[in-house]
Amino acid sequence: MPSLAKFRFCLLRLAGLALALALTLPHPLRAQPTPPSEKTLRISQRNEPTDLDPARASLPDDFFIIRALSEGLVIPNPTNGAPLPAAAESWETSPDGLTWTFHLRANSAWSNGDPVTAADFVESLHRVLTPATAAPKVELLYAIRNARAFAVGKLADFSSVGLRAPDSRTLVVTLEHPTPDFLRYAASGPWIPVNPRVVSTLGRAWTRPGNFVGNGPFTLLSWEPGQRIVVRRNRLYHGAASVRLDTIQFIRLDDSDTEERTYRTGGIDLTMSVPFSKLDTYARDFPDQYHQAPLAETRYLAFNTRRPPLNDPRVRRALSLAVDRGKIVAFVVKGGRRAAYSVIPPGFAGGSDSAAPPIPASHDAAVFFARRLLAEAGFPAGAGFPHLELSGWTNTPVLEAIQAMWKRDLGIDVDVATREAAVHVAALRSGAYDIGFITLIPDVADPFSLLDHFVTGGPENYPAWSDATYDALVAAGEASADSARRTEAVRRAERLIAERCPLAPLYFNAQNWLMRTSVHGWRQDGLWTRYYTDLWVSDAPR
Amino acid sequence: MLRFIGLRLLQSIPVMLVIITGTFFMQRFVPGGPFTAERAVTPEVQRNLAAYYHLDDPLWKQYTDYLWDLCPKAFHPSALENGPDLKAAFGIDFRPSFKYPNRTVNEIIADKLPVSIELGAYSLAFALVFGVSLGVFAAVRRNSWIDYICSSAAMTGICVPTFVMGPLLVLAFAIHLHVFNASGWYGPIDRVLPCLTLGSVYAAYIARLTRGGLLEILSQDFIRTARAKGASEARVIFRHALRGGLLPVVSFLGPATAGILTGSFVIETIFQIPGLGREFVNSAFNRDYTLVLGTVILYAALIVIMNLVVDIIQVCLNPKLKFE
Repeated sequence: MPSLAKFRFCLLRLAGLALALALTLPHPLRAQPTPPSEKTLRISQRNEPTDLDPARASLPDDFFIIRALSEGLVIPNPTNGAPLPAAAESWETSPDGLTWTFHLRANSAWSNGDPVTAADFVESLHRVLTPATAAPKVELLYAIRNARAFAVGKLADFSSVGLRAPDSRTLVVTLEHPTPDFLRYAASGPWIPVNPRVVSTLGRAWTRPGNFVGNGPFTLLSWEPGQRIVVRRNRLYHGAASVRLDTIQFIRLDDSDTEERTYRTGGIDLTMSVPFSKLDTYARDFPDQYHQAPLAETRYLAFNTRRPPLNDPRVRRALSLAVDRGKIVAFVVKGGRRAAYSVIPPGFAGGSDSAAPPIPASHDAAVFFARRLLAEAGFPAGAGFPHLELSGWTNTPVLEAIQAMWKRDLGIDVDVATREAAVHVAALRSGAYDIGFITLIPDVADPFSLLDHFVTGGPENYPAWSDATYDALVAAGEASADSARRTEAVRRAERLIAERCPLAPLYFNAQNWLMRTSVHGWRQDGLWTRYYTDLWVSDAPR
Repeated sequence: MLRFIGLRLLQSIPVMLVIITGTFFMQRFVPGGPFTAERAVTPEVQRNLAAYYHLDDPLWKQYTDYLWDLCPKAFHPSALENGPDLKAAFGIDFRPSFKYPNRTVNEIIADKLPVSIELGAYSLAFALVFGVSLGVFAAVRRNSWIDYICSSAAMTGICVPTFVMGPLLVLAFAIHLHVFNASGWYGPIDRVLPCLTLGSVYAAYIARLTRGGLLEILSQDFIRTARAKGASEARVIFRHALRGGLLPVVSFLGPATAGILTGSFVIETIFQIPGLGREFVNSAFNRDYTLVLGTVILYAALIVIMNLVVDIIQVCLNPKLKFE
């Protein structure tokens, strides 16, 4: 027995010693991932980039890093105005609006020292359009003459595609038809060039650290999958004087809770989000670190118009009217999300809010109108209304809130189903759903890129809605070079959607994030574009 | 014994084949594909992507092509010194990943498996040392306050899930005491919290199994004989009783190793560890067909091997068993 007691005592003492040791560990051993330096910014990166190849990337998360490494002819304007010069220092349009001539900078170079030439741009865009590249966002190049025909394989001869490089600093783009918003497309991701010599030599491995060659403010230093990506300033960048950071670390963090804990212990300077349960606390206690910015993302309910009773516009409109969006943004989603009564977010593409359809004076008035519509459709007070399913992919309580509103105000029962994201999207695409919650995310700030989805057979026309008037409106607006006529087409298309209700916009998304007061010059736009020049870290708070 | 091992390895071939076939076809029948993103791609892009990845071939051809790529076609075990690259060592090709087109599944596994194994090994070591000690204390002082404390600690460990334990430990040791980092896998210090969290659940199970096993042995005749012959209590416990008392723990180690490896997903997410568990789960969400298959095959092989190892250890520990 005594030996056992001794053994036990020994073990206890050992445990105590270990704990004491852990608590008194010298500082270097418990160092942060990297010592925060004045010239290093550590940003949370929520999704591993699929690839750093601008032709193959499709997610904003990929472009967070690509835009630090490379830049296209122009970049989106952070204040939502006309795009700004980047690799091109100037450009002009022919009077008919069909020919755009870009003049590249004399001092721009690839990070390996090669000059950036107009021929590099032609070859890069050729690569995006080549079917074998399988570029997911190839349609952002379809404004170029014959680009679509070449991309779908109907045209084999690239010389008839509207891209020419008369000399090393001049790029001439000929369009299919006049496109006033063409520059916004030219500022999008797939237009970012690659160094064709590097890509042809290295193949798919060209995006790895050590291989990557770009023309942006930073170069790729390391990529530890699942952990972090580090970029270092590019001394050959034409605007090197405006680059004030030495390195940026994109630190991989899977979820908002881990992200927030890492931020609190000083592991990152900037998060991508704020855990929902902590929104109010940060807004109240740390207003100087808590940030909020609107996103050009519309969350909406798609009504499957193939299925009765949702094939009746009165039913769809009644359901849409009975959703109290004010309550949803005030109590359910919070974080600066705005109630949506239109497809296009307010201020999108620098436009005004006048395009939005009129909204009911109060929720009570809307409910009154909704009940009447429902009764007209043959379901007075919800009697005889079939049991529908309301499906979504996230576990936000939005769907439950809507379920309760429909029950209370219309007397109808729906089931709520949450599915894994890919399953949900696949169901929406194949039409195997009743009412689906989904997001509309634009690639460029062009209202028609959103409205286009809901023309007959449009790419994300989940409601499978078909309306000849709408189709004609969108087609005419898109083909028109006159901005007043385009705005009018957008306004009428929005009204039509509000009346026929193939979908019910719920709210416009917003980003909430935490940022240390030592970070200065952070800029981003509603389409997830970030700007890494004129950005710095210093001890002096903002 | 060699015959036993050889026989068992032969038996595992049909097992692996069933797992590969099942996984291959099951994931093809799950709704959604690797290119089902929230933002739709045009039909022509869909076609281009399918052609690029040979998804437009008939399914049986995709299956046989894949099986052929899996067949070992080389034998250079020395290549394993540079990391677990199965292609260089055995010619087993898991193909490029769908989600990360510039990396192959072989590279991803070579990159991430060592991290998961490190995490799992430390956790298991902690679970064994801590769990067995706790179990022994509880059994020796049966129905005393020590027993009650050990048993309740074990019960708590079983009941508190890792996704609660992890953030609690971070809150205490990283956010308030500033001893550890909240996330990351950079220095040795970053190993502590994840291994504690992952190991604690298993430590709790092991403690309960040890206590139960030991109590059963302690009531047997040969223990009384040992005591009657004047052996010290420590000798009785550690020399005579523990050997038999640990048998349930050893049989638990097979599934526990599998659980620690595949179940590290939660820990890897909480602490942001670049291990294979995270890739395993995310690949299923991404419909990354090749990565799903690669990780499933690897885990299945690990489990088969671990079960074999456990069987061998059991025969060595338990004189009543023989290799058959």
